[in-house]
Amino acid sequence: MKRVSPLHQARSRTGLFFAAPALILVAAFLGIPIIQAGFFSFTEWNGVTAIWHGISTYTHELHNPIFWRVLQNNGYLLLGVPIAILLPMGIAFLLNEKVVGWKVFRTIYFLPTAISWVVIGMVAMRFFAQEGLLNGLLRGMGLGFIKTDLLSSEQGALFAVGITFIWSMVGTNTIIFLTGMATLDQSLNEAARMDGASNVRIFRSITLPQLSRFIQFSFIITIISAFTALFSLIFVMTGGGPGFGTTTLEFFIFQSAFSRGDFGTGAMLGVLLFFMMAILGIGQLLIMRNRDE
Amino acid sequence: MKRKIGLKNSLVFATMALLAIVMLYPFIFMIGTSFKSKEQYFGAPGHSLSSWHNLFKALPVGKQLLNSTLVCAGSISIILLVATMAGFALAKLRSKASPYFFFGIVGAMLIPLQSIIIPAYINASKLNLLSGYWGAIFVYAALGTPFATFLMTSYFRGIPDDLVEAAVVDGLGYGAVFRKIAMPLAVPAVITIIVLQFIQIWDDLLVGLLFIQDPNYRTITVGLGALSAGRVTDIPVLMAGSLISAIPAVVVYLIFQRQLVNGLTAGIGK
Repeated sequence: MKRVSPLHQARSRTGLFFAAPALILVAAFLGIPIIQAGFFSFTEWNGVTAIWHGISTYTHELHNPIFWRVLQNNGYLLLGVPIAILLPMGIAFLLNEKVVGWKVFRTIYFLPTAISWVVIGMVAMRFFAQEGLLNGLLRGMGLGFIKTDLLSSEQGALFAVGITFIWSMVGTNTIIFLTGMATLDQSLNEAARMDGASNVRIFRSITLPQLSRFIQFSFIITIISAFTALFSLIFVMTGGGPGFGTTTLEFFIFQSAFSRGDFGTGAMLGVLLFFMMAILGIGQLLIMRNRDE
Repeated sequence: MKRKIGLKNSLVFATMALLAIVMLYPFIFMIGTSFKSKEQYFGAPGHSLSSWHNLFKALPVGKQLLNSTLVCAGSISIILLVATMAGFALAKLRSKASPYFFFGIVGAMLIPLQSIIIPAYINASKLNLLSGYWGAIFVYAALGTPFATFLMTSYFRGIPDDLVEAAVVDGLGYGAVFRKIAMPLAVPAVITIIVLQFIQIWDDLLVGLLFIQDPNYRTITVGLGALSAGRVTDIPVLMAGSLISAIPAVVVYLIFQRQLVNGLTAGIGK
């Protein structure tokens, strides 16, 4: 088979022919636009005419306090990532006890994955509203004096978006850990227990290492979601406000281009987002690849 | 000992039940609220169907559900066509160029939608793709293709080379091998892609918002998003709309839960 036979040649040709449509589609709607974004990021662009400014578009933006404010919002959202991973890990351990009805619970926990951010945002908005369930619950617990109106303050609104984000990641991450736990080698636990290892020790030295690939995977998925999946939620729930309170980088891109008509800045912010996500994504591909071999 | 286990299990069960309520809360809220009038939402007793009536006045629900269906069908058809072909080629018809093709297609997963949306929007507008469904269909198709190709490639790798070789020796062309041998074996992977993409596209707001300019072509999720951004304050009406928009994806999820989970965890394997 190492020799290049006519059959082999025909096969290679057919192969390239078969793979071409996918490549063309992806190139036309993702590949070319990301190159264009790179080009236009150096320009002042209103969608029709572009004026070349070079690197100064970037340096100029670095002096824009709103830009830093936006990144700070992203940073605060990242604080939710550990919770969005640890909580589902705990839930997966509970489900893994396989008590009566655990399959139904699994279905329910994963259900929010099927509903849109628009719907989640609309419900969340009412939950956090002044007359919403959150205040009802606080009252019910005798904490009525903490009457909150989270969405009306900048920090409060970001906190509410963060909580909703964590809630929405529960399903996905729980399923990832549940898949991971199905791969655990029980005989290792038995052996360790025979050697007198404590539960904590078993968890730390045996369970966690076996789950490490799944933890990495959910970590990357959760961070990517925090940066790129929340547009619709923010659009519906807060519109990026109050002020710039809940404007994250992805929302800022949309605002720059489609509210202010500043397509050049939008493209530049998009390029920054791309580089941040590409670094994470390469990490993810490496995990997938290790799995392949 | 037995009693202890019983106690532990009941605690686990209670915790999970409580959590189930938290996760189901949007549905509880949507159902409860949509069967109230505006006055009833603010405390008046009783239930009514008035919000459902008002919803159909505020939103062309039937038309938008149809639009969502058409957009999903169009994009998913394109994804399936190009991704199954590419997956078969990259797994079974390999050549020196294959890795570059694979990297070119699957590597596009690294590109966030927000990074390309501005140039893609301008391009689509220059190509007159924004007036009907096509702009959105192509963008959704391009966004779904990288992962679908990844999934199909790993799936087709599981089919023995001998099977393909033998059929070719028997005189079948590669096209026929693809259609008659590979595709029938790939049904589970195809279903996973359909389910994954259906939920993703059905639930999407951003692409639909920008790439469907004519309100007559709007999908239900975009229609709803626009309604809420217009600050319609009739909450029961919004909740009725939310519920309707959520039902198709939820039904698909309940039927194809396993395929969806397979798709999600395909990146890590089992």
